Amino acid sequence: MHGPDVSWYIALAGLLFATGAVGVLVRRSPLIILLSVEIMLNGANLALIAFARHLGNEQGQVFAIAVMAVAASEVVVGLGLIVAMGRRNVELDVDKLRTLRG
Amino acid sequence: MANFLVWCVWAVAAFACVASALGVVTFRNPFFSALSLIGNLASLAVLYLLLGGEFVAAAQVLVYGGAVMVMFLFVIAYLGDRTGEAPWAGGPSWQLVGTVLAASALLVEVIVAVGLSTGGELSHSAHVTRSFGSPEQIGRLFLTNQLIAFEVTSIVLLVAAVGGVVLGSHARVTAVEPPPPHLIDEAALVGAGAEADARA
Amino acid sequence: MAGAAWVCLLTPLAAVLVITLAGERLSRRGAGYLSTASTMVSFAAAIVAFVIMLGESSDARIHGTTAYTWLSAGPYSFGLSLLTDQLSVMMMLIVAGVGSLIVAYSVGYMEGEDEERRYFAYMSLFVFSMLLLVQSGNLLLLLAGWGMVGLSSYLLIGFHQERPSAIAAAKKAFVMNAFGDATMALALFLLIQHTGRLDFAGVFASSPTHGTVANLIALGLLGGAVAKSAQIPLHTWLPDAMEGPTPVSALIHAATMVTAGVYLICRCHPLFEYAPKVQDVAAGLGAVTLLMAGLIALVQVDIKRVIAYSTMSQIGYMFVGVGVGAYPAAMFHLMTHAFFKALLFLAAGIVIHALAGEQDIRRMGGLGRVMPFTRTVFWIGALALAGMPFFSGFFSKDAIVGATMTRGWYGYCLFAACVLGALLTGLYTFRLVFLVFHGERSEFAREHLHVPESGREGPFSMLWTVAVLALLSLIGGWLQWTQLWHPLTDWLDPVAAPTADPSDTQEWIATVSALVAGLAGIGLAWAAYVKRSVRIPKPVALFEKKFYWDELYDAVFYRPADLISRGLGRFFEQPVIGGSIGDVRDGFRAGAGEVARVQNGLVRAYVLALASGVAVLAVVFLTNR
Repeated sequence: MHGPDVSWYIALAGLLFATGAVGVLVRRSPLIILLSVEIMLNGANLALIAFARHLGNEQGQVFAIAVMAVAASEVVVGLGLIVAMGRRNVELDVDKLRTLRG
Repeated sequence: MANFLVWCVWAVAAFACVASALGVVTFRNPFFSALSLIGNLASLAVLYLLLGGEFVAAAQVLVYGGAVMVMFLFVIAYLGDRTGEAPWAGGPSWQLVGTVLAASALLVEVIVAVGLSTGGELSHSAHVTRSFGSPEQIGRLFLTNQLIAFEVTSIVLLVAAVGGVVLGSHARVTAVEPPPPHLIDEAALVGAGAEADARA
Repeated sequence: MAGAAWVCLLTPLAAVLVITLAGERLSRRGAGYLSTASTMVSFAAAIVAFVIMLGESSDARIHGTTAYTWLSAGPYSFGLSLLTDQLSVMMMLIVAGVGSLIVAYSVGYMEGEDEERRYFAYMSLFVFSMLLLVQSGNLLLLLAGWGMVGLSSYLLIGFHQERPSAIAAAKKAFVMNAFGDATMALALFLLIQHTGRLDFAGVFASSPTHGTVANLIALGLLGGAVAKSAQIPLHTWLPDAMEGPTPVSALIHAATMVTAGVYLICRCHPLFEYAPKVQDVAAGLGAVTLLMAGLIALVQVDIKRVIAYSTMSQIGYMFVGVGVGAYPAAMFHLMTHAFFKALLFLAAGIVIHALAGEQDIRRMGGLGRVMPFTRTVFWIGALALAGMPFFSGFFSKDAIVGATMTRGWYGYCLFAACVLGALLTGLYTFRLVFLVFHGERSEFAREHLHVPESGREGPFSMLWTVAVLALLSLIGGWLQWTQLWHPLTDWLDPVAAPTADPSDTQEWIATVSALVAGLAGIGLAWAAYVKRSVRIPKPVALFEKKFYWDELYDAVFYRPADLISRGLGRFFEQPVIGGSIGDVRDGFRAGAGEVARVQNGLVRAYVLALASGVAVLAVVFLTNR
């Protein structure tokens, strides 16, 4: 195979995943958090595709497509929530949304 | 020669990928974050191509880039000013430290895990044919081995669509009810929001 | 034989169950009739057993029957076994016979009472328990019956639950009996330790025959007997037990339960013979009780209390009897006493019933003219009690008195006590008779006495049962006149052979002395209460205060216990136990509060926790491949 080994792709996927995780943890706007989740999902997808190539088995790619579909659905719901919150003038700040407390 | 070319393409795509991911996380303006994500998706598509997943790359661009990101941009446009805040503003201080630690830990673990479990095998990838990752192959897999995944995925999409419609529908508000007090901090917003709702 | 024994035992239990379970569906009258019928069936079964036993030869009369192994632990095993022999058949006849008469009497006495069903259920429970006691084939089952008669006594004394005095009396009786139960249990422990068994034959054969252990065992059994039979020092509960309805006093506290102690000693007489000192103690206690109770009875003004102290005194006689080894004499006196004491109680019940609950004899007087039947039967009972010839008491009491003379100087002391006791008996009994039935009709009686138009002095069920008891008191004694004919002694010989064998001379001396003393007592009563020729001295405070026993127990037991419990409550229970529970609660609250701080509602904190958790888990999984 030309180019870098699969291991380089895996490292890249890990990096993407970690970056997305940082985004989820640090940002306060639900919108940005959703974007960061997208990054994490993409990182996982990259890992899947890379291993599919490594093992010569397309099932990894099939899995990745399914992940994409799920990600899309999740974005739909998440954005719907955000729009609904915005309509009711709820402040879009995750730290302020605290009703689920013990 | 071909090797070198591939390496170059890989380096560029990888760099773009990481840079755009960092951009998503750090930009203050959500619009810029969304644009960064588009860049990320594009570079990932290139990487998929390098890995022999043509169909996936195309799907990535079409679905992710074409549909999901469009939705994102729509919402950002709709929300306008109400969307966000400074990235590092507020929150408990241990949050930041903990976050960095956790993320780095995850990264290191991924690498270690993969490295340990595969040993030196990762350098020897399988030999694949030209039709690897072609739509034909993917389609065949979807309709035979992974049929259940296919069907379930469609149901998930259906549910999400219904959910989206429900969430987006106007609540039939006969009397303008103020949001519960614990959900907002400034009561001043109530009046403005109520009028906006009544007009909408 | 076994069938008869089981029927005798279980019929009253069946009555209890039916009355309890039927509840309101059974009428009050119905409960009374059911209880009476069951006791009579029990009596019939006892008669059947007796008749069968008559037909057997005298050494083949001991029958044991075991239902199943009741308790089995390691090397010890105790069966649910009944013993039907001469002694137990005698007791079965007495308990079931007198019991059925008294239960029949209760149907009339308790008429109109709200809780009649409960009463009859308890009465049947008592009959069952007493039969269990006398029919048991081993000491464990006897202890069970022992406890159950204590329970029935408690339930029946406290029958009128709305009266605090009744409740207090019931508790007093139960607690004092519990003390006796404890000493008995200790004796049983010793027996198990030294013989490994509790069935009578085995125990008598293998128990230590002398020494400390034998004394302790006998002492333990004596403790139980003393408590149950209301002898000194565990006697103070019996007068208070008169709070219960009169038939209860007749059945439990005169005829049967209080005689259980005497039965126990007779049954376990080998154990007592292994400890002669303890037997002497028993006789001594009996003698002291007999005198003390007689003296107290002289000054009592409640008709039932006089009879109660009389019971205490007569059981003292029985204890003297078993103390000197005259077991058949004691059992004979037990039987005749059951007849005439029940008679006296039930006749007193007729009087109380006619006077609508009045029991103070100072407000009675001259009732004999209006209630001739009652007066007659009361006279019969009184003469029997005083030991007048040829009423039943005469034969039985004199047998005991005669036996005391066989014990050397100690025996002579006992003899003196018995004779003096006979004088006192005559005195207090006839004081009662004369005060209640003779003389002028008191003002109270004129106002409150209501004899129904039918002319009968009370409900019929009360009258015929009393008549039967009067008949038995008249002729029951003819069963045995020790000098001349003694079928009872022969009957009991295989199981309770007397160790005292007075000569004929001693018997005659005893008879004459007791008779003279009794007559003297009656004469003194006549002189004091009828002729008024002898001045009645003011009652001595000592007698009136019942020799200060209650005050003594109050000071020695009750006050310290009360003090200790109140002190403990204040200084230990509240602060330490209550406080510690409170502290545990507070601690948990505080802890939970701290833990709840994790759930602060911050989404990002939760996500951080998730991420950290995943990181840690990944490490764990990696290291544990």
